[in-house]
Amino acid sequence: MRRYSTEIIFLFPLLAYLLGFTLIPIGHATILAFSDPWSGAFPSLASFENIFGHFQFKEAVFNTLFITVVGLSLELVLGLGLALLLLERFRGRKFFRALMLLPLGIPTIVVASNMRYLFDTNGFLNEVLYRLGMIEVPLNWMGGGIQTLFSLVVADMWKVTPLVMLILLAGLESIPREVLEAAEIDGASYARRLRFILLPLLKPFITMALIIRGIDAFRIFELPLALTGQTVRVMATYSFFEYREFGNVHTSAASAAILMVMILIAIGVYLKVVKQREIMA
Amino acid sequence: MRRFVFLILLVFAVIFILAPVYLMVKISLSPPAEILREHPSLGMEGITFKHWSTILSAGQIWAPLRKSLTVAVMSVVLSLLLGIPGAYALSRLPFKLSSAILLFIFLSRMIPEIEIALPISITFIRIGLLDTDLGLTLAHALRILPIVTWILVSSFKTIPRDLEDAAFVDGCGKVRSLLTIMVPLALPGIAVAAIFGFLGSWDEFTYAVYLAIAKKTLPLVVYYYINRASFFLASAYATVITIPVIIVTYSLQKYLKAEYLAGAVKS
Repeated sequence: MRRYSTEIIFLFPLLAYLLGFTLIPIGHATILAFSDPWSGAFPSLASFENIFGHFQFKEAVFNTLFITVVGLSLELVLGLGLALLLLERFRGRKFFRALMLLPLGIPTIVVASNMRYLFDTNGFLNEVLYRLGMIEVPLNWMGGGIQTLFSLVVADMWKVTPLVMLILLAGLESIPREVLEAAEIDGASYARRLRFILLPLLKPFITMALIIRGIDAFRIFELPLALTGQTVRVMATYSFFEYREFGNVHTSAASAAILMVMILIAIGVYLKVVKQREIMA
Repeated sequence: MRRFVFLILLVFAVIFILAPVYLMVKISLSPPAEILREHPSLGMEGITFKHWSTILSAGQIWAPLRKSLTVAVMSVVLSLLLGIPGAYALSRLPFKLSSAILLFIFLSRMIPEIEIALPISITFIRIGLLDTDLGLTLAHALRILPIVTWILVSSFKTIPRDLEDAAFVDGCGKVRSLLTIMVPLALPGIAVAAIFGFLGSWDEFTYAVYLAIAKKTLPLVVYYYINRASFFLASAYATVITIPVIIVTYSLQKYLKAEYLAGAVKS
């Protein structure tokens, strides 16, 4: 250990900063969540009882889970589709690959601004659908209900599918081309090659993409805040509005704590998968 | 036939990717009459620079631009001050220990930001840091430290150890070696880390919405105009934020490794 004493001194400020700005706030938030809003008594479950009685909180939990499950499924299908497209050998492949990564370079709040117009009642999507003769009267995308959740999923998908695509493309490119060519020569159809060769070999990458994206989907904040505000809340924006609109730090901290626990579970799963991969490697 | 299906899918993919960005540019350049009516135009009709001159000449943009730039620069400086010695140490520690620490640093980013932002905004009210450049800088440094550290560690690792060992033999201490040998050699990596750190602060929203109330950063101004359904100003400001991010993302694309984005700390 003596050998590394200088290194430890070098490392100390960095770790102290990260730990200090992580553990102290989390401790503070946990105390807030378990304190009684009126008497300040600790520990108390009053705030949790309070939010479990809010139908808005139950809605927020449902919305968060809906966006996670539906969003992840669609992102995976689309990301795999895009990755398969880019696996083909064609002229301009590099250019298209760069183009597909464009959303990664667009700040999320900017995505929200663009999607706000896309999904407006007099917006771009309704006009396109109208001109294609698919609708007569404009649809109210942002007014709440299932179509609003879908709009949020699409907005989030636009931003993050390239990331899923990158992870899956890395996986696809790690499969030797000879394997696929051999199957092709043996007369296996594209669908069969996909089903029996590509997908099984891709499984670790799919798992990784699902967990990384799952953690982000639980935390989704900017898009629902900017696009749907208090009309459609997710867990993170519920917590924000409890604090900012209703000035209740205790219910805000309680809902953040529930979100935190969900994410810790997901991180636990992530670590388990990473460990398994290390053993396999 | 297969080629045809492939082409159709490619075209759809390109439209899906480009449409929202096209809309942003279009709206920031469209006269309101083209947009705010029952059937808005789809193409670029009647280009106007009115919205741009509004945000530039009315001077609304300067205060948030100043705040965004100040906070970004300050948080990059802070994260380099903490990150350079830390990353140097990580690149020298035994592999198992350093990868465990890097994994921990990476995982700290997965904690929901609201769980951190809520208590620190309460504390910052008490100690007078709410709505200040310094307060937001402290939070943004927390956000960008993982990527800054990660880039720095990988650039320190590429520097051959022999260079340093020779210096140690000549009696050079670790601190001097870091300052006179490692930092100059790692300068390109430090620059990349600084640029990505800058962007991480430049487009940050969550901490900003908790910690900046009256003095807004650029992303908060976009949020403000989205809330008022003011498409034109929201799009113009959104374009201002986006341009540097796109330029950097594309010019530094080779550093945008899937592994980092995916979080698998490379062995």
